[in-house]
Amino acid sequence: MTKQKFKSNTLPSLVMIGPVVLWLAFFIVIPLLYVAVMSFCGIDEQYNIVFRFTADNYKRLFNANYVQIYAQSLTIAALTTIICIVLAYPFSFFIARTLSKKKAILYMLVIIPFWTNSLIRIYGWRTFLGTNGWLNNRLLDFGLISSPIDFLFKPSATVLGMVYSLFPYMVLPLYTAIEKLDKSLLEASADLGAKGVSTFFRIILPLTASGIFSGSIMVFIPSLGYFFVSDILGGGNSDIIGNLIERQFQSGNNWPLGAALSMVLIIITLLLVKLYQKCGGDMESLGV
Amino acid sequence: MKKIIALFTAAAMTLSFTGCGGGTSGETGTGGTASVGETLNLFVWTEYVPQSVIDDFTKETGIKVNVSTYSSNEDMLAKVKAESEGAFDIIQPSDYMVEQCINQGIVQEIDLSKIPNFSNIAESYKKPSYDPEGKYSVPYLGGVGGIAVNKKRITDEITSYADLFKPDYAGQLVVLDDFRPVIGIASESLGYDLNETDPKKLADVKEQVMKLKNNIKLYDSDSPKSALIAGECNLGFCWSAEIALANAENPDIEIVFPDEGAFLFLDNWCITSGSKNIEAAHKFIDYMCRPEVMQKVLEEFPYLCPNKAAVELMGEEYTSNPAKNPPAEVIEKGNYNTNLDNDTIAIYDEIWTELKK
Repeated sequence: MTKQKFKSNTLPSLVMIGPVVLWLAFFIVIPLLYVAVMSFCGIDEQYNIVFRFTADNYKRLFNANYVQIYAQSLTIAALTTIICIVLAYPFSFFIARTLSKKKAILYMLVIIPFWTNSLIRIYGWRTFLGTNGWLNNRLLDFGLISSPIDFLFKPSATVLGMVYSLFPYMVLPLYTAIEKLDKSLLEASADLGAKGVSTFFRIILPLTASGIFSGSIMVFIPSLGYFFVSDILGGGNSDIIGNLIERQFQSGNNWPLGAALSMVLIIITLLLVKLYQKCGGDMESLGV
Repeated sequence: MKKIIALFTAAAMTLSFTGCGGGTSGETGTGGTASVGETLNLFVWTEYVPQSVIDDFTKETGIKVNVSTYSSNEDMLAKVKAESEGAFDIIQPSDYMVEQCINQGIVQEIDLSKIPNFSNIAESYKKPSYDPEGKYSVPYLGGVGGIAVNKKRITDEITSYADLFKPDYAGQLVVLDDFRPVIGIASESLGYDLNETDPKKLADVKEQVMKLKNNIKLYDSDSPKSALIAGECNLGFCWSAEIALANAENPDIEIVFPDEGAFLFLDNWCITSGSKNIEAAHKFIDYMCRPEVMQKVLEEFPYLCPNKAAVELMGEEYTSNPAKNPPAEVIEKGNYNTNLDNDTIAIYDEIWTELKK
């Protein structure tokens, strides 16, 4: 009897996959559908959601201000990603090439700060960089500057906060890719007379490109949405897409418009992941 | 090795994601699980109700109090409507928002017979225009959206909201991160109404608001005083008590009441219609109307106080300080927000988006 039951794979696979499917359905598919449906709804005078079909929210998405904010947000995200690559690449290379005992220590140094709440760390930067903050005071003490530098409340401060918050997400995939790199290939390249620069561009970079791709995805996407960074360090002067969404769900009290804006973010994310797959990216390395 | 690294990263990701929501939500939603009468869930403005006062209430009555905070009326409304009924027992809407809450049916009538200390409230505050029968709200504190000026760094005479729009003050301003007050004062600076609804006039208001773009260095509703005290900003548009507190730290920072008539607000205690701890809520509001309790509140957050018995306890230092206790003529001349229709809100929202982009 039992043998027969297991001949068909239905029961075991239901048992194995069922919970996961339910989990995905309840926590991903249904919420996403809900957002999609809500984005076509309106609101009444009491700010309540009214379920009648309208495309007004989508029309409002093309408002010139919104378009500028998307562009600004994409620029901030792109800058964040590039800076993360430039900083994380040598760092990951260094970890991957050190002895394994030290590796754990180096890695811990990146991770441990992230055991503190990110809001607190971002506020820490504000205290550190303020016109009356530690950095400006030291620079003044040493006579390097004559009046405090305005570091904060600019788009550049937002980028700094993003880079700081998202750095580890770049390090992990890069580290994995660089560790896989076969040392004998580098030796072969040297034997064949390639200089360091050409080895880097023709051997190392192409072989670690997958790490750069997955790191970029993992940095770029959140940096479109981390509104608290642009609020706290950017001073609220340079909104990103995350701020737009947050505002409609909070002070704006217009959830359908917020939902439509969320759809923009979801679509950008999907396009980027598709592009990543097209470029031969491995979905597994996005999963962490 | 790789496994360890993956583990650390996973832990870091989880932590930093939970961090994202940390901005506005405190401890909420415990009301449902605790037995009735033992827990009270407050949803109040940031920097408004001292923790020591709440602790004393718990000590006295044994009622546990959870506090969550918000920094704009609209945020509060959105949150109360999004949470399950009874997630919050007490909220603190301002004037116009009380009316909105009554219309939306999210607050219930307060039984004043259970609030004997209500007699301490000055007569003039008892039946406000936004709650004409005084059934739904008990006034807590109020004040002015005043102008903060660092007199040492800004030597020009600042007398009106209109002065804040001058190009001379590029990068000098900290303002509330709240669209109604900011757009409201832009409108007043042009001689229009604080609650302007005429689309033609709002086009002018938009132009006026954009003049602020270059002047504003920072939007901060939670603690605008910090930027003023740190010298980050030399001009501000913020709540009067924040200016009083900044003044206590640095006497150069003074309050200016604008010629146009000041932006006024008055915050109130209300009980949500979904509250499951109605008795405890009344007890808490009554406690907050005691003169000695309000005295403690005022020592920490020196706002305008409708509780006349508490004001008597405060003495000269409080009553004579214009930032703490704005003069009667300022209040008389000032204006409150009123509720706007959806189309007007959409225009305000667009102005605000353009300002903040």
